Amino acid sequence: MTEAQVEPEIMRISWGPQHPMSGQTRILIDVDGEVVHRLIADLGFTHRGIEKILENRTFLQGIIPIERMSMVDTANMGLGYVLAVEEALGIEPPERANWIRSMICEICRINSHLYAFGLQAESTGYFPAVFLWTTVDREVLLDLMERLTGARWSYNFIIPGGVMNDLPEGFQDKVKEAVNYLRGRFEQYWEAMVENATFEMRCKGVGVLKREEAIRLGATGPVLRGSGVDMDVRKDEPYAAYGDLEFKVVTEAEGDAMARLKVRYHEIEESLNIIEQVAGDIPGGPVRVKVPLFPRPKPGEAMSRVETARGELGVHIFTDGGMNPYRVKINSPTLRNMYVFERMAELGRILVADVPVILYSIDPWYLDADR
Amino acid sequence: MQGADENSFVEALLKSYPELVEEARVLRPKRVSILARREKAVRLAEILRDEYGFIHPISAGAVDYPKDMRIQVIYYLTNPSQRFILTLRVNLPRNDPKLPSMTRVWSAMEFHEREVMEMFGVEFEGHPNPSRLLLPPNWRGGYPLRKDFKGEGVEV
Amino acid sequence: MKIFFDLLVMALTSVNSLLKASWDSILEIYSMVYRLIIGLPELLLRFVSLNTKPLIQIIVIPGLAFILLFAVIVVWFERKFLARAMLRVGPYYCGGRSGILQLIADFLKLFFKEIVIPRDCHRALFLTMPVILPTIPALAVTLIPFGADWVLFRAGGLSLPMFFAIAGFSPLIPVFAGWAANNKYSVIGSFRAAFLYISAEIPLVICAASVAILAGGFDLVKIVEAQSTIWFAIPQFIGFIIFFLGLIIESERTPFDIPTAEVELVLGWRTEFSGVLFGFTMMAEYVSFLSWSLLFITLYLGGYNGPNILGVPLYSNIFWLLLKLSILVPIVILIRGVFPRLRMDQLLRLGWYYLTPLSLLNLFITLALKLLGVLS
Repeated sequence: MTEAQVEPEIMRISWGPQHPMSGQTRILIDVDGEVVHRLIADLGFTHRGIEKILENRTFLQGIIPIERMSMVDTANMGLGYVLAVEEALGIEPPERANWIRSMICEICRINSHLYAFGLQAESTGYFPAVFLWTTVDREVLLDLMERLTGARWSYNFIIPGGVMNDLPEGFQDKVKEAVNYLRGRFEQYWEAMVENATFEMRCKGVGVLKREEAIRLGATGPVLRGSGVDMDVRKDEPYAAYGDLEFKVVTEAEGDAMARLKVRYHEIEESLNIIEQVAGDIPGGPVRVKVPLFPRPKPGEAMSRVETARGELGVHIFTDGGMNPYRVKINSPTLRNMYVFERMAELGRILVADVPVILYSIDPWYLDADR
Repeated sequence: MQGADENSFVEALLKSYPELVEEARVLRPKRVSILARREKAVRLAEILRDEYGFIHPISAGAVDYPKDMRIQVIYYLTNPSQRFILTLRVNLPRNDPKLPSMTRVWSAMEFHEREVMEMFGVEFEGHPNPSRLLLPPNWRGGYPLRKDFKGEGVEV
Repeated sequence: MKIFFDLLVMALTSVNSLLKASWDSILEIYSMVYRLIIGLPELLLRFVSLNTKPLIQIIVIPGLAFILLFAVIVVWFERKFLARAMLRVGPYYCGGRSGILQLIADFLKLFFKEIVIPRDCHRALFLTMPVILPTIPALAVTLIPFGADWVLFRAGGLSLPMFFAIAGFSPLIPVFAGWAANNKYSVIGSFRAAFLYISAEIPLVICAASVAILAGGFDLVKIVEAQSTIWFAIPQFIGFIIFFLGLIIESERTPFDIPTAEVELVLGWRTEFSGVLFGFTMMAEYVSFLSWSLLFITLYLGGYNGPNILGVPLYSNIFWLLLKLSILVPIVILIRGVFPRLRMDQLLRLGWYYLTPLSLLNLFITLALKLLGVLS
């Protein structure tokens, strides 16, 4: 694939893993002058064989490799696996645990979207102003999570049966403080990005994905919702406490890079609303149901779907009655979106300078594409 | 034609095309499993896409059952108007795992079928780009997700 | 026997006279050298006292010391200023909280780094292009008047076209440097640099020509003197804006730094340079920024003249030029922190579709003003 012959006028640029803005992957761009003929995504640089690892771990031990599939969005990944395990064991977590799970997942979603803002701004050459602002703002959320779980990134907090611990003293007030702080900072992002003339020039009309194409090519997450399709697992199959919480599914119709940015922006607003609802109305009760340390579910299968920040994650567990799962199949959001990215060169006319903008508007996270 | 929920869908499918499916059942709310006959798999896929509206591909994977000497390839699909997950499964014999590629029905299966090819050794006929997706280019052989894999693929 | 004696006497006599003659010439040479050494400081002193002003102009201002100091101070200022815009502090540890010694530290570091020369590159071009790069704008700085009688090179009254002639070399150097580096990224970057410079030069030349028409001459001192009543920024507001954009384009600063630091080109045509060569290319950006800013201030903002308050011109001095420079530089730096980069085709569209016709419009307005005798 990567040693294929290219025609004489076409130059193949290798935007490799050692590159300021490519992330942990290699993108090959076939260029003729400035117009891109073909994009090839060479994935697999962070392939760790998580699916095989999970076959040799018990169900509780499996939470740790699963959380390694993301670094800013770990709660959602863990929740996907835990929901499948709970379905296989046939247990239901208590209601308070569900609400706490929703809150943690929304905090991770905000974290991830802020990070995506920073990367998208940096991809247009915005001297890293926005990226550093988001780093500062994410610290507020990371402090919250450290207060709750003791870790900043990989929490291992959501376990089959509920969550590990209850909320500490005064946590709800801290949450309200954090939400107010973020709401105050929010206007700046809109002004700095969406209303910035040059940024608009770089992002508007770039990487347009029409509605039918988005569905046909299997896009997911903000990429899909930025093209006008309102598929969101939190509304289609409510899990955790999303059935009881009030929030909207955000869609934008244009399908270009700016639309995806706006979708992420409004999703952060919705997430802040959800967190506020949880902090205010969380029901009481236990946070954990007793689950044996080495559970042995009956032979069968269980499939769960979760809406992570980047799209829909599916975890399909096959059990055979032993302590380890027989097979765990993970349907990763970024792998689906990278296929859409490869087809971008055929969907419209894109130039070389658009490639980073499109790539970061799709917001890939190769750790879950490669697993 | 399209049932209002999973049960009516399964009934309608079994009534209209009984010769294409071996087994179709509802696993739980929002999860439907269809086991297709191997020779009719592509035909069934086309019918699902065109008549029943399963135009949104999610993923594809496989499970290795060495005790039954089969590899089961699973395609995950969903319908944007009904929003439940359909798993289309095909059983392949373990010593001859060949299947016509589903990229002619859903082109987004390209990446996922490449992964199944390199991890299980399944051969998809007519795949537009049968090259490795995740494994490194100097992989020495072996199919990692099969149950009899002993870690031989990487030079040490 | 007698013959022997005679020969000996003859030999001795000739040796004696030879020695005497050579001693004389040695004495003579010695006395010449002595006089030279004694008289050398006096010679130097006479040379310096005759040519004080040009020497100071070459070495101190607007020459070597000023340019180097400007480059160094603006780098420090840019880092601190942009850091504040990004909620950071910039260099913090070297030299107290202001980090002012950081520049010297960076400078020394660049000197001691290894210069990596790619294998199949064109060595002569690779090693010389970065050196030529800052000298070209530095040459252009010599034409700018820093005071009514403080111009290093008057160029016979043709300093404005001379500036553009010197600055016209600038597209060539990135092209050579990028090609010499034998790297795909560098070649793409040098193409883009050539496009960029060319699309900015034509509007700039037309705007400068309009200013020359309004002032009635090509000499920069004359242009400054012609602004004693009103600065040219006001009758030539279109040209003012075009030149301001062109200033940023020509010094390759964000939002127009497409040839370098493009996210997909690592550093464009500067990718392969390391060590002191890299230091030269970085310095070149700031020196060209300096030269274009000075020209901008001279053409549109009154140069070294102070503002007119109630018709009485204030004391003109180099101080006013530096003050205007220190107001212009932070504005341009702030633009860097606020706007992302334009795409290549967007920049070309800007240059050719918008700037060039607008500069022609500016030219016509100027001609109309001149014909109607609005500004004598």
